[in-house]
Amino acid sequence: MFVLSFLLRRLLQGALIILLVTFIIFTLLRVVPGDPARLIVGGMAPDEVVAMKAKELGLDRPIPMQFVSYLGDIVTGDLGTSFVRPKSGASLGGASFDDATREERAKVLDLILGTLPMTLQLAAVALALALLVAVPLGTLGGLYPGRWPDKLALAIGSICVSTPNFWLGIVLTLLLSVKLKLLPAIGYRGFSYTILPAIVLAVEIVPFILRTLTVSVAQVMREDFIQLAPIRGLSRSRTILHHALGNSAIPLINLLGVQLGMLLGGVLVIEFIFDYPGLGLLTINAVLQRDFPLIQGIAIFISVMFVMINVLVDLIAMTIDPRLEY
Amino acid sequence: MTDPILAVSNLSVDLKREDRKRRIVDNVSFSLARGEVLGLVGEAGSGKSVLARALVRAIAPPLDIAGGKVVFEGRDILTLNPRGLASVRGNRIGFIGANPMGSLDPRLPIGNQIVEKLRCVQPGIGRTEAREKVLDLLGRVRIPSPSARFHEAPFQFSGGMMQRVMIVDALASDPSLVIADNITQPLDVTVAAQIIRLIDNLRQSLDTAFLFISSSLPVVAQIAERTLVMQRGRIVEEGRTADLATNPQQTYTQTLLSRIPPIWRDVTAPVATTGEPVLTVDNVLRTYLVRRRGSFNAYNEVKAVRDVSFTVKAGENFGIVGESGCGKSTLTRLLAWLEQPDGGRIAFLGKDLSHLSARSLTEMRKSFQLLLQDPYGSLPAGMPLRRMIEEPLLIHGIDRTEAARRAQEAMAEVGLDAELAERLPVGLSAGQRQRINIARALVLKPRLLILDETLSALDQVEQAELLDLFTRLQATHGFSYVFISHDLALVRRMCHRIAVMYLGRIVELADNTTLFEHPHHPYTRALLSAMPTLEDNRFPRPRYLLDGEPPSPIDLPLGCSFRSRCPRAERDCEKTDPPLLSLAGDNYAACLHRHMAPHEEEVANVE
Repeated sequence: MFVLSFLLRRLLQGALIILLVTFIIFTLLRVVPGDPARLIVGGMAPDEVVAMKAKELGLDRPIPMQFVSYLGDIVTGDLGTSFVRPKSGASLGGASFDDATREERAKVLDLILGTLPMTLQLAAVALALALLVAVPLGTLGGLYPGRWPDKLALAIGSICVSTPNFWLGIVLTLLLSVKLKLLPAIGYRGFSYTILPAIVLAVEIVPFILRTLTVSVAQVMREDFIQLAPIRGLSRSRTILHHALGNSAIPLINLLGVQLGMLLGGVLVIEFIFDYPGLGLLTINAVLQRDFPLIQGIAIFISVMFVMINVLVDLIAMTIDPRLEY
Repeated sequence: MTDPILAVSNLSVDLKREDRKRRIVDNVSFSLARGEVLGLVGEAGSGKSVLARALVRAIAPPLDIAGGKVVFEGRDILTLNPRGLASVRGNRIGFIGANPMGSLDPRLPIGNQIVEKLRCVQPGIGRTEAREKVLDLLGRVRIPSPSARFHEAPFQFSGGMMQRVMIVDALASDPSLVIADNITQPLDVTVAAQIIRLIDNLRQSLDTAFLFISSSLPVVAQIAERTLVMQRGRIVEEGRTADLATNPQQTYTQTLLSRIPPIWRDVTAPVATTGEPVLTVDNVLRTYLVRRRGSFNAYNEVKAVRDVSFTVKAGENFGIVGESGCGKSTLTRLLAWLEQPDGGRIAFLGKDLSHLSARSLTEMRKSFQLLLQDPYGSLPAGMPLRRMIEEPLLIHGIDRTEAARRAQEAMAEVGLDAELAERLPVGLSAGQRQRINIARALVLKPRLLILDETLSALDQVEQAELLDLFTRLQATHGFSYVFISHDLALVRRMCHRIAVMYLGRIVELADNTTLFEHPHHPYTRALLSAMPTLEDNRFPRPRYLLDGEPPSPIDLPLGCSFRSRCPRAERDCEKTDPPLLSLAGDNYAACLHRHMAPHEEEVANVE
C-alpha cells in the first residue's frame, strides 16, 4: 500500500516536471532564430512553398496553440517526425525542395529507441567499471581514514576529476587502439567498441563515487552501533559487510541517481569523440541540423528517464533503509 | 564462598596523545561474585565508561591498557588470544550502553540482529532455535506483541522499548556477567524505573551478575547490593550500598551525597507568593498535522498541547514537569511566542500577544526571554562575548556605548570575569556558557525568564551555582521564572507552583508542598514513585509505578486520556475527559476520582 501511494505521488510530481521541461524546451526552440519550415523544404524553395509547409505543419499558429497540439501528440506516443532524417538512416538534407526521398522522414520515437540501447549499453558498462574500481577503494579509504588507502582514494579521485574526458579519449585511442591495437575505437561493429568509451566515461564517474563512499563509510564507522558491534560479539568482517556497507550505500545510491543523469550528458561528448552511434551522437547531430522535433523529443525523453531513475533510486534506497519511508 | 566470576586487579588505562600520557583508569581492583549486582558510581569524566570497556578489552588508541589483570571465569581477558576473546565478548559477557537508539543497525529488524549476534557467538545454535529464544526473551522483558515487533527496525521503538531490546541482546547468549553502562541515563524517570525493576526481576531468575554503572548514587542504590565509588580513575570507596548511603567514610562520597537534593526529608518548600499576574495562559491549544504513512493525502492530527491554562505571578517560580512527548517543548515555544497557538490566548502583562502589532510585539519581547538547554549550540561560536551580550540591545535599537555599558554590568552580575569580554566562547565550560545566555537575557531587563531545561546539561555543582544566581537575580530584579524540566528535584527546590503535564494536558496544578506530599492525580504519584532517591520514597513503587508507555498523541483514548494506564480508572472515565477541577487552596487536578493516595487513605481509616 505504501509503495503504491509513494509511486502515485512521485509519478504525479514527475509528470509536472516533464510538462514544465517540455514547455521550456518548446518555447526556447520557437524563439531562437531559424525558420524550420524553410529548413524542411530546403533553402532554394520559393516563399509560397515555405508558407504552405508552415501552414501544413501548423507552424503559423501562435506558440501556445502549437504547444497544446504538440502535447496532445506526445500523450498518444507521437513525438513527431524528424525534419531532416529520412527513414533509410542517412542524415543528409539536400537543398532542393522537390527531392523524391524527402517524404519518407523518420519518426522521432523510432530514432530515439533505435539509438537508446547503444547508449544504455555504454552507460551500463561505464557504471560497472566505475563501481568495480571505486567501491573497494572507497570502502578501504573509509575504513582507514588518514592512512594510505584513504590517501590513495583521494589521489585517484583528484587525478580522475581533473582529467578532461576529450583529452583522455584521444590519448587512450592513440595508446590502446593505434599503438597497441588492443581495442577498436571508432564507430560500432560489436561489443568491443563499447569498452574504450566506457573507460573514459568511468573515469568521469569514479571520483564522485570514491569521495561519497569514503566519507560515508568513515562516518558510519564512527556510529555507536558499529563501535558496539565487537563488544556484542560480531566479527569485524561481518560488521563491515552487513552493517557498515549497507548504511553507507544510501548516500551512494542517491548520488548515482543524479550521476546517471550526468552520465547521459557526458555521453554527448564521448559518443561524439568515438563516433559511437548512441543517443548522444543523435542529439549533437540534431542540434547541428536544427532538427527541432528530434531535439524536443530527445530532451523530453531524457527528462522522463531522469524522473524515472530518481523514483527508482528512492525506491531502492527505501528498501535498503526502511526509515526513509517516513 | 565460591570463586568470583570477575576479579580485576591493578587495572590501569592511559590516554596517549603524542608524547603526553594521562591516566584515565588508575590501578583499579575489585571482584564480582556470581549473580551479584555491583554498582559503580562516579561523576562524568571519572573513567567509569573507559573502565567498562577495558573489562571487555574494547580499548582502542589513543586509549591504551597500561597494566593489570581482568580475570573472568578463570581466564585473563587482557591476555586472551583473539579466539578466546571472541568466546567471551558478547557471549559470556553482555554489554548494554547508554545510547539504546544508536546501538543497533538502524535499517534492519531488531529480531534479526539479535539472532545474528547470537549465532555469531554461539555458532552451534540453529536459526529457528535462536529465533524462538529471542522471541521468548522479548516477551520476558515485557515488550508488547513480541512476534510483530521482532520484525521492526530500531526507529520504530521508543527509547525505553529499545533499551529493553538491548537487554534482550545482552541476555540472549545466557551470559554470566552483564555490564550495564549508564543504561537509564537517556530515559524518562518512569521508564528508567521500569527498566530497573525489569533487571531486578530478571536477575533473580537468571543467575547473572551485573556491573551497574551510573553517575547517580540514588540510581545505583535501587539495584546494587555493593557499590564502588570512582573519582578521577580511582576507586575511592567500596562497600554495601546501604552503608555508603547512610555512613560514607570518604570525603568524596560525602560530597557526592551532599549534592543529592532532598525531596521529602528536611525540605522547606518555597511557599506560593501573591503578586500581580505576569503571564496568563488561557485554554491554549496547538495541533500539528503529520502526513499519514502509506496514504496519498491524509493527515493525522497530533494534539501537542491541549487546553492548557495557568497564570504566573510577579516574583513567582512556576514549574512545568512531564516526560518526553508530554508537550513541554511545544508549550515552551508557545510561551516564547515562537509559534502561535491554534486556540486560546496567551497574555503578557495583561496584553493578548496575538493582538499586538509587530512593533509592539518586538517591544514586548524584551520582557520575556527564553533560555535554552544546550549551552553549546545556543551561542554563536565566532563572536566575542561582549558582542554577544550587546547584540540583543542593538537589535532593540540601543546605541553602542549604552549597550557596551549594560553588557559590562550584566557580565559582572552573572559572575563572568570582565577579562573574558573580548574572548570567543571556545573552551568555556557549560556553566559559563549558560551564564552568557543569562546575561544576554538580563540586559533587556525582562520580567519573565522561560527556562527550558536550562540546567539539565550541567553537573550538580554548576547547577547549584546557577540556581543561586537565579535566586539572587530574582531578589534584585523581581523576575518571574518558568522552569520547564523533567527534573523533579530541581522543581522541588525552586518552584512555588508546579504543573504536571501528560499527553499535552495539565493533569495537576498545585503548590509545591501539596504536589510533592499529597498529590491528587495518579500520574503525579507515579512520577514521584519513579524518582530515584536515597530517602524512603513516600510513594512506594510496587503500588504507584506505572506500566507501559503513554499512548500515541495521534489516537488519544476517549474520555480521560490517562485512563489507559490509570490503576484506578472506572466506568465514567471512559466517557468524560475531566478538565482541571478545583481543590482546596489554589490547587487543581484533572481527575474525576480525587482519591487520597492509597497508603494515606489506609492511615486515615485506621485513625
